[in-house]
Amino acid sequence: MEILGTKELMEQVRDKGLCVSCGACVEICPYHKSYKGKIALVFDCDMTPCQCYAYCPQTETDRDLLSRTMFGTMDKGEALGQYRSIIAAKAGSKIKSNRFQNGGTVSALFTHALDSGLIDAAVLTGQNDDLPEPMLIENACDVASCATTKYMATPTLAAVHKAIRDGRKNLGVAGTACQVKALATIKANPLGKAEQENSIGLSLGLFCTWSLDTRKFSAFLAGETGGEKIVSMDVPPPPAETFKIKTENEEREFPLKEIRKMIPRGCACCPDMTAEWADVSVGAYEGKPGWNTLIIRSEKGEQWVEEAIADDYLVRDEFPRSRLEHLTLGADNKRKKAEEFLTKEKK
Amino acid sequence: MSGLISGKKGSRRLLMGNEAIARGALEAGVKVAAGYPGTPSSEIVENLAKVAEAGNLYVEWSTNEKIAMEVAAAASFARLRSICVVKQNGINVASDFLLHLAGSGTRGGMLVIPCDDPGALSSINEGDTRHFARLLEIPLVEPGDFQEAKDMTKWALELSEELQCVIMMRSVTRLSHASGNVTLGDLPVTDVKAEFRHEGFPLDPNEGIITSAPVAFRHSQQQEKLKKATAAFESSPFNTYTGPEKPEVLIVTSSACNLYSREAINILKAEERVGILKLGTTWPLPEKLIENRLQKCDSILVVEEVIPFMEENLKILAQELEPKIGRKIFYGKRDGSIPSVDEMNPDLVIAPLAKLLGIEYQAMSEEYATNAMQKSFFAAPVRDLTFCPGCPHRASFWSINNVLKLDNNRGFVCGDIGCYTMATLPTGFSTLKTLHSMGSGTGVASGFGKLTQFGMNQSVVTVCGDSTFFHSVIPALVNAVHHKSDITLVVLDNSGTAMTGFQSHPGLEVDASGGDAVKLDIESICISMGAVVKKCNPFDFEKTQQLLFELLEIKEGVKVLILEQICALSPEKKAKKNFEMSVDESRCKGESCGCNRLCTRIFRCPGLVWHEESGISRIDEAICAGCGVCSAICPVGAISRKEVAYE
Repeated sequence: MEILGTKELMEQVRDKGLCVSCGACVEICPYHKSYKGKIALVFDCDMTPCQCYAYCPQTETDRDLLSRTMFGTMDKGEALGQYRSIIAAKAGSKIKSNRFQNGGTVSALFTHALDSGLIDAAVLTGQNDDLPEPMLIENACDVASCATTKYMATPTLAAVHKAIRDGRKNLGVAGTACQVKALATIKANPLGKAEQENSIGLSLGLFCTWSLDTRKFSAFLAGETGGEKIVSMDVPPPPAETFKIKTENEEREFPLKEIRKMIPRGCACCPDMTAEWADVSVGAYEGKPGWNTLIIRSEKGEQWVEEAIADDYLVRDEFPRSRLEHLTLGADNKRKKAEEFLTKEKK
Repeated sequence: MSGLISGKKGSRRLLMGNEAIARGALEAGVKVAAGYPGTPSSEIVENLAKVAEAGNLYVEWSTNEKIAMEVAAAASFARLRSICVVKQNGINVASDFLLHLAGSGTRGGMLVIPCDDPGALSSINEGDTRHFARLLEIPLVEPGDFQEAKDMTKWALELSEELQCVIMMRSVTRLSHASGNVTLGDLPVTDVKAEFRHEGFPLDPNEGIITSAPVAFRHSQQQEKLKKATAAFESSPFNTYTGPEKPEVLIVTSSACNLYSREAINILKAEERVGILKLGTTWPLPEKLIENRLQKCDSILVVEEVIPFMEENLKILAQELEPKIGRKIFYGKRDGSIPSVDEMNPDLVIAPLAKLLGIEYQAMSEEYATNAMQKSFFAAPVRDLTFCPGCPHRASFWSINNVLKLDNNRGFVCGDIGCYTMATLPTGFSTLKTLHSMGSGTGVASGFGKLTQFGMNQSVVTVCGDSTFFHSVIPALVNAVHHKSDITLVVLDNSGTAMTGFQSHPGLEVDASGGDAVKLDIESICISMGAVVKKCNPFDFEKTQQLLFELLEIKEGVKVLILEQICALSPEKKAKKNFEMSVDESRCKGESCGCNRLCTRIFRCPGLVWHEESGISRIDEAICAGCGVCSAICPVGAISRKEVAYE
């Protein structure tokens, strides 16, 4: 796979409206910058090959390279990606906070990774005013401030690059499918950049069916809540077809089809529901409130989860075959929709 | 010019055309001169301002050209001699007043002096002001060399006073800015008293009221004056003929084209075959003089710049005279012999003339021409039009570009005339997307800002300089505020009319002659209009961009950001560097991914140079202005600045 430059990145991705604002091209050069959930090219760049093109999750993917990097094997092309095991999980007794999206598995794993020194620092998504913002977390006690799903595109990778530029190594990062794919590419280091060596320690993928355009959705939230602080947002399992927003004073429901209008085009071509290029992936456990589905993919990921369980950061339960079929079906559906979109796009 | 006022009668001096005009004004006893700076006209007022005190003149840089015209007219109404000097587009600005002045008539001699810029060497138009003379029905004269530039000024002022009508004397870049020998005349000792008489019979031209109404009466008076002017033009010393009595080809020309025509004839050694009728009075045409010349030649080549003004007027005359003088064949713009855009030169006269004379002429061999073209294309270094080292505009547009790109809704900037015009080019990151006359950026933006009802949601930004703000932005800003137009005006305040040479303007404490003046504060003016106003130093990128983001967030009404930083070339700066700049060569990323020469490829301050062999950027100490700005753009912090301590 040929690595091209900014010009091609613009032609193939951004000009087509396929950018998902993951931040993979930001903070590595002075040309791509992120502002309020959108990424812009501020000046033209004529170089090739470029890191921006190489790391972008929306350019052509070298699946074998990523597979070798993450799992030491060739790509197998399965709907749920490669994995060692799938379990049900939730935060264990070591975790004091209770403000979680589901079972608190993400917070628990990062709290453990920082406490145990598995990673040197974490990049997670927090909140700044009304917009989500990636944050560099050095202390386990700050992990909780980044809990709950934001449903908006966040340039998490920009914060990763900035941390790397500041000399950080062995970072732990939580991100959606597009973001962990970019992380896996950085880890593969296709352009042989010295600063990228050992920069990524652990990656945790978040299940994602879609994300929302940050500017549109934050404007929607501001309009609907009148600036009231949002406590949580959630998409209840089907067939609810609603989007729940909980503020400090009330809980409101919106038809999901209204919310879906704010999905960026770039999400439509994403085939990956369970974030296959991560060390571990976490999502909701439909039908078991308060629990997460946890897919353990790499050897490193397996070690991470086992230590977290052993040290009471995490509690595990069985993940029955029926749930696996259900999950695979969901992942397959997303992949098919993406293929349909891409076929239409080519026409 | 030193000695503009001390030069003795009869002495010869090398004078720039504009200096010659200034001296001519002094020799005519001009008391008031007003203008608005604009290349190639500025040196006339500038030179008169220098001698204002010694010569007991009143000289001002007016707020705009229309006001300059009104100020000069007032002097004429008070029976003083006056001149108003502008560049070509200044006549457009002043034309409304001029139309009425042409109708009302004048008293003391008054000249309007536009300096045109054929070829647009210092303009973004090559407007031809000669048409205004015909449109406004006022006499038009054009000096053909440097001596004439001086002598004609005096002659035309006297004629204006006699006719009681304003006269246009047009110069062009190659006359205003070139130099030639001029024999000086006497400087009169005058002791005139300014007095406006208005108590007489209302229609009395000397004692009544001054107005263009009743229109039919005044208009017919005006046309009578034109007839008198034409009569005077018949014997004008500025209409000359050189050549054989019956030439094969008659060149009719004027202004700088007189010099090109003379050179062309000389190069072709055609002195015995071609005659030059050089006209100093170009509208209305002196009919008898022309008849006399046309009678003796059937092939007429009209050599003039830009549009076929003389050619058309000559053709009308020739048509009327045909029964008497027979049919003439004209060569010029209409048949493509002479181009009707860009400035002329001797070669452009030689081409059609050689053809008419059947002379084989090639200025240079084809081989030489090809060689010269290749050499200049491949060997000459690329030197774009660019902002100077340390120019605050580069910093301002850096921020404006960044903010608009990040704002990411295809925002754009409407601009107008000033050094910042160059922001249409890479030196200003190609940020300007509309560019017209002075003040029009804000007017155009005011219109864009009202298009939301038709679905437009792009950010609308406009820029203007400090002098332009006073010149013509204020009314546009009033319009935008009044109509709640959603725009952001960025005032690029560099404390002077910098592009034309730091002439004074209403935002400064000095006037044209260096005397005390009342300074008007742009910030207070904008606040009093009801705009949201912020102000900062454009060299502070972070603050500038933060303020601009904040202002763009405000969705209704006018926002103003004043970016205040003195021009890098300002005499006040005395070329002092605030910072010593240096590049840490070990850190410079050069052409690699992560930088790709941001400083020398995009920021492109001439003070930064790319060192090809070592693949790093360096500071050119000789031209670096020491503004310190580039240290903030380097992505790896390789450019550092050290404050310079002055005693």
